[in-house]
Amino acid sequence: MTIRSAIVLAGGEGMRLRPLTRHRPKPMLPAGTKPILEHVFDQLIDAGITDLTVVVGYGRTAVQSHFGPSYRDVPIEYVVQETQLGSAHALAAATSTIDETTLVVNGDQLVDSDIIGETMKCHDSTVGATLGVISYADVTDYGGVLVDDGTVTEIVENPTDGREYRLNAGVYALEPDAVEIMTGIEPEAGEFSLVDGLSTLLEDGIPIAAAATDGMWIDATFPWDLLEVAETLFESTTVESHVADAARVHDTATVIEPVLIAPDCVVGPGAVVGPYTCLGENVTVGANAVVEHSVIDSDTRIGANATVIDCVTGRGVGIGPDSTVVGGPGDVHVGETIHRNEALGALIADRAVDEGGVTYAPGTIIGSEVSIRAGTTVDGSIDSNTEVR
Amino acid sequence: MCGIIGVVGETEETAAVDVLLDGLSQLEYRGYDSAGIALANTELNVHKAQGELEALESAVSRPALRGSSTGIGHTRWSTHGPPSDANAHPHTDADEQVAVVHNGIIENYQALRDELTAAGVEFASDTDTEVVPHLIASHLAAGDDPERAFRRAVDRIEGSYAIAAVFAGEDAIYGVRNESPLVLGLGDDASYLASDVPAFIDHTDRVVYLEDGEFVRLGPDGVQVTDADGTRVETTVETVDWDAADTGKSGYDHYMLKEIHEQPTALRQCLRGRVDELEGDISLESLADLEQSGPVQFVACGTSYHAALYGAALCREHGVRATASIASEYTTDRVPVDEDTLVVGVTQSGETADTLRALREASRAGGRTLAVTNTVGSSITRVCDHALYIRAGPEIGVAATKTFASQQLALTLLAASLSNTSSHREIESLRAVPDQVQTVLDTSQAKAIAEEFVNADAFFFIGRGLAYPVALEGALKFKEITYEHAEGFAAGELKHGPLALVTKDTPVFAIVTGDGKRARKTISNIKEVEARDAPVIVVTDGESEAERYADHVLEIPATDERGATVLANVQLQLVSYWVANLLGRSIDKPRNLAKSVTVE
Repeated sequence: MTIRSAIVLAGGEGMRLRPLTRHRPKPMLPAGTKPILEHVFDQLIDAGITDLTVVVGYGRTAVQSHFGPSYRDVPIEYVVQETQLGSAHALAAATSTIDETTLVVNGDQLVDSDIIGETMKCHDSTVGATLGVISYADVTDYGGVLVDDGTVTEIVENPTDGREYRLNAGVYALEPDAVEIMTGIEPEAGEFSLVDGLSTLLEDGIPIAAAATDGMWIDATFPWDLLEVAETLFESTTVESHVADAARVHDTATVIEPVLIAPDCVVGPGAVVGPYTCLGENVTVGANAVVEHSVIDSDTRIGANATVIDCVTGRGVGIGPDSTVVGGPGDVHVGETIHRNEALGALIADRAVDEGGVTYAPGTIIGSEVSIRAGTTVDGSIDSNTEVR
Repeated sequence: MCGIIGVVGETEETAAVDVLLDGLSQLEYRGYDSAGIALANTELNVHKAQGELEALESAVSRPALRGSSTGIGHTRWSTHGPPSDANAHPHTDADEQVAVVHNGIIENYQALRDELTAAGVEFASDTDTEVVPHLIASHLAAGDDPERAFRRAVDRIEGSYAIAAVFAGEDAIYGVRNESPLVLGLGDDASYLASDVPAFIDHTDRVVYLEDGEFVRLGPDGVQVTDADGTRVETTVETVDWDAADTGKSGYDHYMLKEIHEQPTALRQCLRGRVDELEGDISLESLADLEQSGPVQFVACGTSYHAALYGAALCREHGVRATASIASEYTTDRVPVDEDTLVVGVTQSGETADTLRALREASRAGGRTLAVTNTVGSSITRVCDHALYIRAGPEIGVAATKTFASQQLALTLLAASLSNTSSHREIESLRAVPDQVQTVLDTSQAKAIAEEFVNADAFFFIGRGLAYPVALEGALKFKEITYEHAEGFAAGELKHGPLALVTKDTPVFAIVTGDGKRARKTISNIKEVEARDAPVIVVTDGESEAERYADHVLEIPATDERGATVLANVQLQLVSYWVANLLGRSIDKPRNLAKSVTVE
């Protein structure tokens, strides 16, 4: 059936994406040069949605100020989820807006419009819900769905039992009375997810259909996944290599496609940008600097003669002249956990600044507003607001 | 000054009454003391109510009024007579043959009123406007048709005005403008007239800007524009690029807070395409052919005047002879102007009557004129030789926030352009400003400061150099939305009098940026305040030792002095917002104020 209204859940921080989420939620992290959420909106609007409700919470001003009252002429209604107690709790915040069949999607995962379209197409009001599912190599870290002849039989979070699971793509078509049931139950242990709600529907004998596609689905679990997200966007031609008109690239600079260079960027003489490099709004690449296979967020300045490989930055980062992000692979330290051999040169969070001549060992994580003295070599994980001397 | 809307014709979805009431809601920024509408059938149907538009909405039944296809509406900001039902527009004659809405001031209204009273007319209101329907009625009584009666009445009045009138038994609106804005909208099945485009942008984006002295008749057969003699005038139809949807609150409690958070985006738009860091160039498209060697005089009012002070100070730093004047005083003072003078009018709306008057006089005296405004197609752009747009996007909150920041950046570009001084370094620091504003928004402690000092007796703001206009603006913002006593002073001036007001219950906000001579002198002024036990809140980049003398600190990122004052202002905007919010004030529509002041 045709569905016109969608609720997008964009209120969660995404703690595993720290330190990039210090001032904004995961849906506002860059997929290429646009926030993940903007891609989600694009796919929804391309699939025919004309009425958007967004549940916001953590870092909500980042969402509200980026999109304003409408996106691509589709009005946006914002609903505030004051405390984040799971996705069903988020949906509950928006139930007053639901009086017809509604699409509910996660705002922090990239899906293509085929998944959305197929979910709508499969849905009719004989079922309480239709779930978008895809074949996916490994569902252990995600939501697994068992499907029998187009009908969902069981939903398991992080399944490990080797049955033939499909992946829950986080796209749901819901009937109003199903929403009522899903949001009406008391959470068992603090958080209360949509999957808990769907399981309740199954227990109550309300049928859930599965809409299967092999469309694109990407989730950034860790900050360095943003590199892979950008690569997938290029490879799947979801985005095309592009240099904005309002960007200034010096005649002697070299751009190796695919790249995304956003408005107001400046690329200096002799610099080399690309391939697989995304420069957000107003990024500066100094003379003779090299930036390769990196996602550089807005207002970051890369100094002259710097080399930046396999790097993810937040906003307003300063990589000084002659500094070097060596490139991956490297071991990444997050708290007590070590992620071995990740393809990460360095992750540098919002407004961290180095004075120049700094070397970043593979897999280094720099917190926000860190300042690093000239000539230092950094590695491991450095907490926000510290000075490295 | 007020907002006017009118419509002739109806579409399937919207009857005239809906166009009027919905249009008025888009014009409330122009005034919200009282509102009213008049619909024309064989008789006139007039409804009005004191208070915000909601009062009128609840006083009328939309369905009952959907039979009319012609009507006018008005939202008022009082100039003559207090807000009341009687003083609300539209005004009519005794027999309700004609209803009139008016924006502006009729300067000879007392003489006309005396004359009409002597002839036996009884007035129902204290307004200057009411003379118009009575004058029209007297001409109708003498046998004139409505159009002729309208023209003869307008002939008699002096002052600034945009007027629209409807007559019983006629499907038409008659309008005229002189120094007050009036714009026409051309739809497929209906024609519109309003003080500003947003009033009818939901229905059409094809507009005609009426010029001073022009008359218009909107009828079922379309729109006819004529001059004072009744000769047909050829008009230019423009298509406006205005996203009507851009005017929601997008999840914020107030437009003001939304607009404060929109500043990084607004500033990016202001700079886009105008600065080139690779070449170290600043280029302002509209000023390419402007060679300036003589003095520069800025004229403006309110918040824009503070931006003008900032712009003039920047020009002087670059060696350009520049002054800033309050527009209404500029005309009173008869400031000398010759053909070497560039007069720069700064106005967000482009409709500020005092500023327009100053520019018209400067133009008559032979000076060249430049408009610095946010509003494409506004009156000021047609009065001035050149226009520089600040590109801040629509601002709905009556207290100007993002438009002040955008004015600051636009005037920084102007000062560099007029003095032919721009450097890679300067452009680098300009390009950093949007993100630095974002940093302030992400980290500001203004809410905690507001909670601590909300009950203080008075609030003072001090600054030196470029921070002086920002201190004035900080205090003005505070007054506008908190209704508390606030004053801004040049830091060095405090000891010459105002220090007498300083007590332990009067927090002093001091702007200290950098670590130069100016910062050190301001720190001395802070010590003077501290010695009188006043709590000191320092807005600073932490470069100087100002924090040592402060009770509280509002931090801003380190940058040059120009950028720093933009950032300091954002902190002060947030302090004002949170104090007003704690006091439960009407933040987006503060009492007695209107956004666009189109009367002198």
